[in-house]
Amino acid sequence: MELLIRSTFVDNMIFAYFLGMCSYLAVSKKVNTALGLGLAVVFVLTLTVPLNWLINEYVLRPGALSWISPDFATVDLSFLTFIVFIAVISGFVQLIEMVIERFSPALYAALGIFLPLIAVNCSILGASLFMIGRSYDFGNSIIFGFGSGLGWLLAIVALAAIREKMKYSNVPAPLRGLGITFILVGLMSLGFLGFMGMKI
Amino acid sequence: MKFLHDILEKQRPLFERGGKFEKLYYLFEAIETFLFTPAEVTKPKGVQVRDAIDLKRLMMTVVIAMIPCLIFGIWNVGEQHYIATGKVGSFWDKFLFGAIKVIPIILVAYASGGTVEVIFAIIRKHPINEGFLVTGLLIPLIMPATIPLWQVALATVFAVLVAKEVFGGTGMNILNVAMTARAFLYFAYPSDISGEVWVVSDGEKFVDGYSGATALAIAASVSAANPSTNSTTLITDALTAANNGMFSFYNLFMGFVPGSIGETSTLMALIGAAIMISCGVASWKIIFSVFLGAYLTGIIFNLIPGEPRPYFCLPAHYHLVMGGLAFGAVFMATDPVSSAQTEIGKWIYGFLIGFLTVLIRVKNPAYPEGIMLAVLLMNVLAPLIDFYVVQANKRKRLKRALAV
Repeated sequence: MELLIRSTFVDNMIFAYFLGMCSYLAVSKKVNTALGLGLAVVFVLTLTVPLNWLINEYVLRPGALSWISPDFATVDLSFLTFIVFIAVISGFVQLIEMVIERFSPALYAALGIFLPLIAVNCSILGASLFMIGRSYDFGNSIIFGFGSGLGWLLAIVALAAIREKMKYSNVPAPLRGLGITFILVGLMSLGFLGFMGMKI
Repeated sequence: MKFLHDILEKQRPLFERGGKFEKLYYLFEAIETFLFTPAEVTKPKGVQVRDAIDLKRLMMTVVIAMIPCLIFGIWNVGEQHYIATGKVGSFWDKFLFGAIKVIPIILVAYASGGTVEVIFAIIRKHPINEGFLVTGLLIPLIMPATIPLWQVALATVFAVLVAKEVFGGTGMNILNVAMTARAFLYFAYPSDISGEVWVVSDGEKFVDGYSGATALAIAASVSAANPSTNSTTLITDALTAANNGMFSFYNLFMGFVPGSIGETSTLMALIGAAIMISCGVASWKIIFSVFLGAYLTGIIFNLIPGEPRPYFCLPAHYHLVMGGLAFGAVFMATDPVSSAQTEIGKWIYGFLIGFLTVLIRVKNPAYPEGIMLAVLLMNVLAPLIDFYVVQANKRKRLKRALAV
């Protein structure tokens, strides 16, 4: 529970680490599309982080292979971390892409290129790497993946709601589009600073 | 008045299209409408909203509602100075001392904010309105009297520019402008705005045993110093003991305590609230639900068993009078632009502000006060709340329409 709140609010992927910005900025024009992408990210994060944990624990980390035979105790496959993690993530993204295409073609069309691009969404690889860096156990990695996804989801729907409201704003021409969105995200993270340093 | 009007009218051709100062028309228009009622009225035919409140009157009502806080704040700056240095002064001595400290801050905020506003109005050709009178007065009221003037100017320029003008000016900002100014200073120059001493000393020494800390700072430090006591009265005792009983509940409510210029007095904030609610300017739902949220959260923290930090056990009603909660609830949370727009949304919005304020105070040792960040965070989330309230309403009506 503590970890869930911490990973959702305090260590928010967007507002604390500024990870996963490309799809965050690109797909936040409408709340419903943002919600769809956000849910996809939650799903991918919740499954890939624990899966990557298993892979790291039993295959990749130094001495991980000793469960096969003690001879492998000296084998260190951690140089493969990035590529294996990305492969796992891409696999899941492919899966979710097929599911969305089957059940919600409208959302599939709305997300467009950004759905497959979840595969290179930094927040997802980032979560897997944080999970190793902070040496979570298996249970924690599930919660952490879910919480990070939830934080990302909250951030993107909040931004999308603001941008829907901002259709009525009279933004100076040079700032329209991405320019004002960058300023907006900066101001939003100012609001999220209230969680920074919170002891849970 | 007639003669002033004549002077203005004589200048009018200079500023109108084709005149010498055509570019400065909106400056002229602003001065004219500050001084006189605009001549145009809505034509008698056609669909129109009939309401005595326009943007001008709304903003001026807020300014009037802030005056009790301002006058009390000016006096309190003097009062705190005299208490801290152990001197005796009359009412006017204190008022004068406070005025010398506070008026420059207000002037600087108005001048810097006004300059940005005028530049934008001229370049972007939008009228100047009274919104900046509100912002320019709110910003000084949430600063400590010890703040360096250049920081006031910097924060005001930042807030008006980044939080308001880049979004298109009045009515289009996402975050509350005054809170953005304070948050900017809070993170850029933390020692000047969250420091230990909140009382102007002017080179004179404090009397022995006096600390200029706010009630919140005392509560936080007592709580941090005795992490494992479970006493319900530890903080209230510490508050009562500090500075010869300065932080009694009564004094906290009345505002005879150190703090930012306008935020100390809950009573004055409530008077402001009464003015604004009776004029239909502020939403009573937001104000009420902020207090409700803070109070209930305080009670819940009281009830959490086995939490060994004394801050948890602080009686809930203390949360309502300490720090800037009342001022923030009345003047910041009710900002009609950045708050939630739907009626149910206002309840949720206000309640969460109250909840987050107390949560940040109690749970986050990094910040003694929570109202600023709670308001900013809920400003960020308000459009989302609105969106879902509207969606729910749509679904409800659709269901009703289909059922018939």
